[in-house]
Amino acid sequence: MSSRTTPASPGVLAPSEPPGRRSLRARLRGVLPVLGSLQGYIGLVLVIAAGMLTKGQVFWNQQNLTNAVGAFASRGILAVGETLVILTAGIDLSVGSLLGIASMVSALLLVHQNLNIYEIVPLCMVVGAFFGLANGAATALLRIQSFVVTLAMLNVVRGIDRMLSDNVSVGTQLINAQGQLTPRSAQFQVLGTPGHNVFTGLPLPFVGRAGIYYPVLALVVVVVVFQLLLSKSKFGRHIYAVGGNETAARLSGVNTTYVKIAVFMLAGLLAGFAGPIDAAYSASADPLAGSSYELDAIAAVVIGGASLAGGRGSIVGTLVGSLILTLLDNVLGLNAISDNAQLIIKGLIVILAVVIQRPDFFRALGPAVRRLGRLTRTRTGDPPGEVASGSPQPQSATPPLEESR
Amino acid sequence: MGREIHETQPDNASGSSAPAAPGPGRVILAMNAITKTFPGVRALSGVDMTVRAGEVAAILGENGAGKSTLMNILAGVFSDYGGVIELDGVPVAIHSPKAAQHLGIAMIHQELNLVPDMSIVDNIFLGREPRTARGTIDRRRMDEQATRLLAEVGLTLHPRRPVRQCRVAEQQLIEVAKALSASLRVLVMDEPTSALADAEVRRLFTVIRRLAAQGVGIVYISHRLEELDEIADSVTVLRDGAYIGRREMAGTTRGELISMMVGRPLDELFPRSDSPTGPGEEVIRVEGLDLAGDRREGRAALHGVRLIARAGEIVGLAGLMGAGRSETLEAIYGVFPRRAVHGNVRLRGRRYQPRSPRHAIRNGIALVAEDRKAQSLVLTNSVRFNASLAALGRFMRRGTVSAARERAAVAGMVTDLRIKTPGLNTAVANLSGGNQQKVVLAKCLLTEPSLILMDEPTRGIDVGAKAEIYQLMTELARRGSAIVMVSSELPELLAMCDRIVVLCEGRVTAEFRRGEGSQEAILDAAMDRQAVLGIDAASPSRAPARREVSDE
Ligand SMILES: Nc1ncnc2c1ncn2[C@@H]1O[C@H](COP(=O)(O)OP(=O)(O)OP(=O)(O)O)[C@@H](O)[C@H]1O
Ligand SMILES: [Mg+2]
Repeated sequence: MSSRTTPASPGVLAPSEPPGRRSLRARLRGVLPVLGSLQGYIGLVLVIAAGMLTKGQVFWNQQNLTNAVGAFASRGILAVGETLVILTAGIDLSVGSLLGIASMVSALLLVHQNLNIYEIVPLCMVVGAFFGLANGAATALLRIQSFVVTLAMLNVVRGIDRMLSDNVSVGTQLINAQGQLTPRSAQFQVLGTPGHNVFTGLPLPFVGRAGIYYPVLALVVVVVVFQLLLSKSKFGRHIYAVGGNETAARLSGVNTTYVKIAVFMLAGLLAGFAGPIDAAYSASADPLAGSSYELDAIAAVVIGGASLAGGRGSIVGTLVGSLILTLLDNVLGLNAISDNAQLIIKGLIVILAVVIQRPDFFRALGPAVRRLGRLTRTRTGDPPGEVASGSPQPQSATPPLEESR
Repeated sequence: MGREIHETQPDNASGSSAPAAPGPGRVILAMNAITKTFPGVRALSGVDMTVRAGEVAAILGENGAGKSTLMNILAGVFSDYGGVIELDGVPVAIHSPKAAQHLGIAMIHQELNLVPDMSIVDNIFLGREPRTARGTIDRRRMDEQATRLLAEVGLTLHPRRPVRQCRVAEQQLIEVAKALSASLRVLVMDEPTSALADAEVRRLFTVIRRLAAQGVGIVYISHRLEELDEIADSVTVLRDGAYIGRREMAGTTRGELISMMVGRPLDELFPRSDSPTGPGEEVIRVEGLDLAGDRREGRAALHGVRLIARAGEIVGLAGLMGAGRSETLEAIYGVFPRRAVHGNVRLRGRRYQPRSPRHAIRNGIALVAEDRKAQSLVLTNSVRFNASLAALGRFMRRGTVSAARERAAVAGMVTDLRIKTPGLNTAVANLSGGNQQKVVLAKCLLTEPSLILMDEPTRGIDVGAKAEIYQLMTELARRGSAIVMVSSELPELLAMCDRIVVLCEGRVTAEFRRGEGSQEAILDAAMDRQAVLGIDAASPSRAPARREVSDE
């Protein structure tokens, strides 16, 4: 069949709406980009379904879910900063190390300076922002590719971290002469030690008097703040413009140097913010804390639908990506799947996520299924194969912290 | 869908690698009842198009009429379409660019499609590099052929020069050279002259005529009607995706074509008469503007350029490619690093140091840049995002961008400029070329500038819209803006400008007041080589700077 007419496309089309009026559909389309891609939510639903099917109530209860999200919260916060950088078509490989040094700094400040958390957390954020600033300056002013800059920074910061700590972990649970936690140390636990909540005793909606687990609260607040920054502020627009077309952004009056420096600084700031959470969660600051967290963060961003080429993505999307990784981690753990297998699954899901995130994925799916069906039938007589549309397989995992559970 | 057809294509293509012998009047390409739908847009509904061997068949239509879409189908860019395409009477299925290439169909796209970081020669032979006997790439042969092809289109650039360093007009011609390197049956040119000045257009026409004489069928899309008189044999007119008709060029008047195109007769293209009130205060005065050239950036040097624009005035900048017209605008706009630019600029009487585009916008200067895809638009983002990008400060409320205000302002622009878009949230990449250009204009106008620098403002815009843009420029000038426009279309400059400044190799060689200049006089001044030859020999030593374009 050398000649062939493709069937004409469906006949009647909705008349294009006038640009002035806003139909519900137009409104929806305006909000959709913020929500990330549909595929992300499908993935999330699949992971939850897998958890419910295999473990039922053991998986779907507030305690377990809180633990799961809490264990991942610091990486989720890193992913938010990473999203900003990736939106400008950059990448930050140093956020894991920055989290590490911030967690070390927080522990040292607690142990040696006996500071309270209202002093520790801002100081850690300053430390993170400082290194982020260095990343940004080297990228934007010296014009070195961010991959190279932050790869170098990853090592530099890790080195400083180990020097500060003399290669030993610093515990954050300090015991006084009476065998009890010191007040400052007890206060520090609130930042993330499982079982310690904030706002306890208040009649809060949803959670009641039990309070909220601080890492979860922190993640939610960070997501909301930065999503608003992206979608409501001038700076947010500029981030998208720089990532989408830097020349056009500059000619439109965007201070591209400033934007690039700022996103790295914010990524550092958030890493600094996440450091104490990680220290409190582990009850100690390890000189290797945060190693390879940057990869989890990048994975979350990519699964959330952002493009590494810049200009596309959202914080809410990243949150969805983080939740997929988190819950998957949890489901695999509950089902006692080995760490090694978890790594393999996690690697595969990133690839799968990128494939199904293609904008025309659903449209391309139809013919692909048909073709595959035809091929398999004619070649081997097998029943038509199922094409993974957000495969129901359990997907990714992150190596759980030693301390978790 | 339907990629399984591919295996059958080489059969159709057999013997297609050499152009078929010219048969006068033989139909080589017939596209019948072509339909194409994008989500929410019916781009083509039942369009017919035939091309005979040796014919230059023009397609005419307003922005968004579907011209590019029709040709993209032919070139295999869109794989799902309805209708039949016959080549030499044989129905063919073209579902990929590769398949089109096999069939001897080449297309020069409306938007430039070169890889910026690769050299000219590598771009020309991309995907079909000649090999030596040992299987390595035959660099010598490539360079030789590339030099020859470049000479054919009238370029004297070194083939190893990266494309990034070439100006838009040069890139257009490189695209042509690239198309020539393949063996051809049908060559599609989508607005190849939109960025070319007269002399370059001549050269291109020579190339086209030679190809036609060899029996190649040529599809030619352009919004410059005067070109069609000269080069086209027949014209097919589209309107809103529908086929309106086909006319032989001989015996068809321009007015007839225009009314087929827009569906009504168009009264007047150039609305501007002599400025009624006379020019007002000086908005900008540029004296002794020097710019260090930069080979790596492909930046022409400027030597002592003098330019004055008063409120209510439209000043034209004429010149050949590489004369420094765009550079003059960009230097004023602050695109280049400060050390590369010297000279005395006064803005509304006060000393002004071009610092950065941001600084320029704050001072009421706007630039409509030459290359909309590379310099002006974030293609994957929406009309709203792009149009408001330079003027976000205007829509701020309590520290956030007020979506309502922004939408209202952009919707106003969309109406005023008659931008044809399904909605404000449509990605700019999905608009037709001319409508993308209008989005760029909208972006500049939203900054409410008092000095508007326009680099080929009507590039790729249809006659109707051109008239609207001229109307708009006249209106802006009347309200007291000063406009400096670069254009390769001399009739446009002559009709619109109060003064025309002619540049040649970075120097002002003539200045004409309204009514004084003629096309010939301007061209003479633009090619005035004697004036610069002596100094030019010394100038490379003056311009060794190798700086990137400044960031802020
Ligand atoms: N990829 C796409 N997705 C959605 N709509 C598209 C796409 N490409 C083109 N269109 C729409 O199809 C219509 C025809 O566009 P086309 O580019 O063919 O116009 P054109 O005649 O070439 O106009 P111009 O003279 O401005 O280049 C337009 O309404 C455009 O918005
Ligand atoms: Mg077009």
